[in-house]
Amino acid sequence: MTSRAEFLGRIRAEMARTPGLFPATPSVRPARPRERLDVLRRELSERWAESLARFVGEFERVGGVFHRVARVAEVSDVIAAIAAEREMRKVVSWHPDALRLDLAGPLSGRGLEISTMPGGEVTAAERERLRGVAAAAELGVTGVDLAVAETGTLVVVSGAGRPRSTSLLPACHAAVFDRDVLVESLAQAGLVLEAWHEGSAADARGAAINFITGPSRTADIELTLTRGVHGPKEVHAVFVEDGLVGGARG
Amino acid sequence: MSDPDLATPFRERASRALGDAFLKEALTIATTKFITLRQEAFGDYPEGEELRDRARAIKEATLQHLDQHLERLIDNVERRGGHVHYANTAEDARRIVLDIARRSGARLAVKSKSMATEEIHLNEALEAAGVTPIETDLGEYIIQLAHERPSHIIAPAIHKTKGQVAELFARELKRETRPDPEMLTRIAREELREKFLQADLGITGANFAVAETGTVVLVTNEGNGRMATSLPRVHVAVMGVEKVVPSMTDLAVFLAILAKSATGQKLSVYTSLVDGPRRSGELEGPEEFHLVLLDNGRIKQIAGTLREALYCLRCGACLNVCPVYRQIGGHAYGYTYPGPIGILLTAMLEGPESVKDLAHASSLCGACADACPVRIDIPRMLIELRKEVVERRIAPWPERVVFGAFGWLLRHPALYRLSAPIARLLQRPFARGGRIPRLPLFFSDWTRTRDLPVVAARTFQERWAERERRR
Amino acid sequence: MVTCLGDLFYPDVGERIVRLLQRLDVTVEFPSGQTCCGLPLFNSGHHDEAARVARRTVDLFAGSEHVVVPSGSCAWMVKHEYPGLMTDAASRAAAEGLAARTSELSQFLVKVLGRRKFQSAVEGTVTYHDSCHLLRGLHESQSPRALLRELAGARFVELAGADECCGFGGSFSVRLPEVSTAILDKKLANVEASGAACVVACDAGCLMQMRGGLSRRGSRVRALHLAEVLDPDRDVQ
Repeated sequence: MTSRAEFLGRIRAEMARTPGLFPATPSVRPARPRERLDVLRRELSERWAESLARFVGEFERVGGVFHRVARVAEVSDVIAAIAAEREMRKVVSWHPDALRLDLAGPLSGRGLEISTMPGGEVTAAERERLRGVAAAAELGVTGVDLAVAETGTLVVVSGAGRPRSTSLLPACHAAVFDRDVLVESLAQAGLVLEAWHEGSAADARGAAINFITGPSRTADIELTLTRGVHGPKEVHAVFVEDGLVGGARG
Repeated sequence: MSDPDLATPFRERASRALGDAFLKEALTIATTKFITLRQEAFGDYPEGEELRDRARAIKEATLQHLDQHLERLIDNVERRGGHVHYANTAEDARRIVLDIARRSGARLAVKSKSMATEEIHLNEALEAAGVTPIETDLGEYIIQLAHERPSHIIAPAIHKTKGQVAELFARELKRETRPDPEMLTRIAREELREKFLQADLGITGANFAVAETGTVVLVTNEGNGRMATSLPRVHVAVMGVEKVVPSMTDLAVFLAILAKSATGQKLSVYTSLVDGPRRSGELEGPEEFHLVLLDNGRIKQIAGTLREALYCLRCGACLNVCPVYRQIGGHAYGYTYPGPIGILLTAMLEGPESVKDLAHASSLCGACADACPVRIDIPRMLIELRKEVVERRIAPWPERVVFGAFGWLLRHPALYRLSAPIARLLQRPFARGGRIPRLPLFFSDWTRTRDLPVVAARTFQERWAERERRR
Repeated sequence: MVTCLGDLFYPDVGERIVRLLQRLDVTVEFPSGQTCCGLPLFNSGHHDEAARVARRTVDLFAGSEHVVVPSGSCAWMVKHEYPGLMTDAASRAAAEGLAARTSELSQFLVKVLGRRKFQSAVEGTVTYHDSCHLLRGLHESQSPRALLRELAGARFVELAGADECCGFGGSFSVRLPEVSTAILDKKLANVEASGAACVVACDAGCLMQMRGGLSRRGSRVRALHLAEVLDPDRDVQ
């Protein structure tokens, strides 16, 4: 089998034979991304309303359903309504620490079966069981780690208490967020990604970051658009004006 | 097997495709739609032009330090518990993936759309080794069931009607339904959901790999990329070495233009950033992550004439605008990658002999270069390939003789001027009312469908010379 | 520069250009010994041959103050590819000099002479086909349109898919005649749908292809060179 040294050696040999086609440099990276991001967030907090408006426009354009509530206590009502309208009973949600709100409590006794994902490592058998729960669930509720206004994108980071399957397996995905996670552009999202990987920051979280821009779709059959191919058929975003638990204002 | 026989000359394969009325209509509708969507997306996006320049610069800059970026990528992937493998050839790559499958005892593999795995013909090898590969991108799933090859880089089943898909599902899956895309999609979702949950192995490509962080990036619309990299125990990503990008800041530039170029979307539905195997506390995610770095002809082009083709993002924009592709579709090209970039990639993977006809499957109109998000000058490289075919004597000798003679004639003006009276003599039996509707031999191909003009009774130079004589 | 196709097949076009330019008080010379710019050799990968032809052409026009070319593809060859074909610094400099002094006809009229308004030599509606080398090679789509829009005595309409190839592509038209014809059919369908009496192009190759197709299908629409719609003998009425 080819070794690393051999493989790279061949590449170096070819590189030595040419200076390239024209002088070029990669993007200038921020020296201290987390610091830059803090500054950016402060700036963005002044114009969050515009970012939100833009987000809503783009989110709806790609088929997302937007909801807005004043206080975190109202979120469960929205979730219950979404489920009721679609005659859905099985709900799966992120752990409250990740969700930044308590859902299981307020949703109990409303005829819904809520499974809250555990906050830490579990046994292999339990993981298997939970996979079945997620696959059987009709509605998955997650938080949002980043909302990109330019494209109407919800970004979720995986990890303990915030499994990938919650936003992937159920036919309906509802994501709850507040103004703190809003950024305006993909370029700013790039800065966030730099910050999320700065130093050992990445070690504390899961291995998957997912940008979600609307419901799953395809146009592979005669270019006819259909939704819900493998991922969710519907994506809902629930915005909490007063902020979620543990946020800047929370 | 719908794979056109490569022993059939390209011209014949192309003509056959031209006779397929449904294909023609499907291609017209699909390519026109993609063109419109792309134009709208960039029309609405003033920053787009500058970002295209930047994207091109990032690609070039990356190649200029490719070894360093790959070293960084490898170190980061390994630091996160992933394994990196090095495949010089398609065969090496197949062997590596089969090895991984064997060692992990995999029987069922789910595949997210990957042109790299098409390129190395992985599926046949997996099947032969007792591993069942299931394509999960709907278009790829359809053509897998039909035992065909993809006909477009991003819309592989563009050549199939919904009726044909319904028939296919009835025959291969024993699932009957109306030829309705909604119903057909639902069937695919159900069938494939089961496979995702059962599969031992997830095989993907990679649209990008970020060197700075060891992150593999998958761009999809359906969610199969997320499934394949979260549910099976083992994840293998096969990636051409040129897909590495230096940083997340660079990645954001590409994300801003890739989906717009491919389908006119601002972003595809899912952009998945995968940092290796599952971390502690995660419910999903593979136990093992493998990155297979693929050469297969790419490394040689770092200093070769096709270097610029290494910038390619596999968006398919060039296919959609190519007047040739739009008429004949992808299968007629005969290789994994069709369309303008496909000719270059075929030369890269299979050598110049493979494109002695394909290099001429272009009117050099330049629409591809215009559409390319990273501004690859495809026509220039097509001409370079034609040059290589001539210089290596791969081009047929009569052609080389004719062009050589033509070139000589152009440098001998007195003899060149003789060609007019000679042509006038020769054309007399064929000229009808100022046109030539039919010519034998060399130009008969032209006159089968078009008239030819007659050589003028007096050429411009003859008239000018006469005028000068009179003065 | 009359170009090979222009010389052999469309000498009227050349003559009209001479008259047109003379009417605009341009002194027109015609260096004798012209053959071809070498584009067919270049496009087919015969670059040594193309370079020899290029060198000769550069010498031929060494004394010309400005070179006007009726074909976008030939103008592109001279301006874009000649310098790169030269193997020594002196030839390259000479080629670059020629490139800087060369314009396609519509560019010369609009950008060098600053003239847009001409009397039309045809009646009715005209439409325009962007030839690929002029459009994408020389980035020229405005000059021909400016001239056609301002034609006195004719009306201009845009052609659907004006920027789409006509299928000529030089030897492509005989190497892959079926594909070339299929592309042409699409172009001509657009031309006929435009309702125009004629389609104008600034390239002899495109004209040969389009005219060949139009006459084969017995169409009443004509494919004309720009110089055939600009009246060289009458002032604007």
